[in-house]
This record gives sequence, C-alpha cells and structure tokens, in this order.
Amino acid sequence: MAKEPEYIIVNIDTPRKYNWSTGKYLGHVYAEAKENKKLVGNKCPKCKAIMWGPTIVCPKCKVETGWEWEELPETGTVTQYTYLVFPLWDPHYGERWANPHPSGTILLENGVYQRHFLEETDPEKLKVGMRVQAVWKEDYDERGLGMQDVPYYRTIEE
Amino acid sequence: MQTTSEKIEGMDVWLYHGQIYIPNTFSAGATGSRFLTTIRDKAKITGTRCKECNRVYVPARSVCKDCFAQLKEWVEVSDKGTVLSYTIDSEPKPIHPTDAPVIYGIIQLDGADTGFVHMIGGADPEQLRIGMRVQAVFKPKEERIGSVLDIKHFKPL
Repeated sequence: MAKEPEYIIVNIDTPRKYNWSTGKYLGHVYAEAKENKKLVGNKCPKCKAIMWGPTIVCPKCKVETGWEWEELPETGTVTQYTYLVFPLWDPHYGERWANPHPSGTILLENGVYQRHFLEETDPEKLKVGMRVQAVWKEDYDERGLGMQDVPYYRTIEE
Repeated sequence: MQTTSEKIEGMDVWLYHGQIYIPNTFSAGATGSRFLTTIRDKAKITGTRCKECNRVYVPARSVCKDCFAQLKEWVEVSDKGTVLSYTIDSEPKPIHPTDAPVIYGIIQLDGADTGFVHMIGGADPEQLRIGMRVQAVFKPKEERIGSVLDIKHFKPL
C-alpha cells in the first residue's frame, strides 16, 4: 500500500552576534540620552552648524568640531513622511515591526533634520508641516541605545 | 530579546551588543525526507543506488551526479564506517550543533560509496586517524525529530 510521503522541513536559525564600540563622540550622545534624556549634537566652530549624529570633522568646513555640545530641541516640524503598510521584520531579532509603520523627516527648531518614526498611524492625519515631539523611554534601565532611546515622535497640537 | 549596550568603565564609550537574525527554512525534498524519516523511525541509515554506475549514495540523493540517472532503489547500509577525513573546530560558534571543540568527519559507511559528513564524538583528538573505524550513535527514539542530528555522533570502535 502506497503511503503518503512525509516531507521534512529543515529549520536552521543562526543569529550572528556582533559588538561595536560607539567611540568617544557617539558615546557622549549615548551617555546624555541615558542619564539626562537629552539628544545632543556637537557644533562646528566655524559654521556653527550642529552635527547630528555627532562627527569629529565638519563635512562642510573640514575643520575639527571639538567638544562643544548643544541639546537638540524636543519638538519639530515634519517636512516629509512615508507611510509603510508592509509587515517588515526587525533584522536583528526577527520580530515583526508595527504595521502600518509611519516615519518622517523632522526639522527641529535649531535647523537639524532628524529622521525618525512617527506615532500617527492614520494616513489622513499625516501632514507635511505637522508638529511633533520626541517621546522618551521613561525607564532608566531601558535606555542606553542612543537615538533609539527616543522610539518615535508623537503629534502635538499647538 | 532586544539590543543592549553597556558603558565601558572609565571611558565615555559604549559597547553596543547586536545580532543579525538569519532564519533559514527549506524542504528536505522527497528523497531527503525519506532518508531522515528512516533514521527517525527505524534508526537505520539508508542510501540510493544508481543502476547505471552501481554507486550507493549516502546520504541519499535523487539523481546520480555522473550518470544523471533517477535513483529509485533504496538500500540499507551499515551503521559502521571508515573515516575518510576529519577536522577539529575548537572555536565556539552558534552554527555548531554541540559545544566546542567539535570534530567533523567525512565517513564512508560500509555498503556506501560516498562520504557522509557528520560529527565524531567520544573520541580523544590524539586518537583520530584517517581510516579509523567508527559507528553511529543514535539518540533515544523519543528525542529523534527527523533531523540528521538524530544521529548524535559517530563513536570510534
């Protein structure tokens, strides 16, 4: 009697672990985010522009930026946004990302552009020019991942 | 699970611990599945014979690599064999099925004409030789899941 053949599915999960050091400048951003709930950028001594993320050399003036730090404002204006409706997954731990998944470019008050996720999931309510504010991880022990200590920006009414 | 980081003591530098998740799923196919289920259900290693060149493939494959003939004839081979080659990996890696050091060997089982890649266990590295005789050690029946690792390792005779 012919039996229905059984098919074996082979699963091999091989997460690759890696470590990297932030270095001195990005390390300062991590420390400020964890200890003081602040995102900081460093300043070019020549053109006075704020570097975000921090850099050692100003890409425009080609001079060393030094150790002058300025806090980024909590609030800003959305200049671009995208609204992703595809179930992407986190490449690090294989978890599904929230779906829909809106993100945007936010012009902060001091002229720094910040690309980040947005809280607003209703595409009708997403607008260029909407005002947003950074939302922090409140738990001290959860913080420690630099810019990721701000998981998203929420819409504010002004 | 989530990404973590730690501050390096005495420095304004953080160490970021990350990982890249690499899932991999594939079907063993009709021939591979039968090979694996026979190990699981009967604790027996089987292969396929080529009618053209009389070669016995272990692990079983569906097409002869030289004759391109369809391999339909199943034969049972011995659980004892000869080591054709081996290597010792002392570095722990997530890909290893067991703790380091791992000894990988290519084993030609009695009755087969090809090498079968598996692990050699319960052996002193000093004792390893090409041509040494080994025997398959199967896991207990309740632990066998239809994987090639249902054979725990090959032990020296």
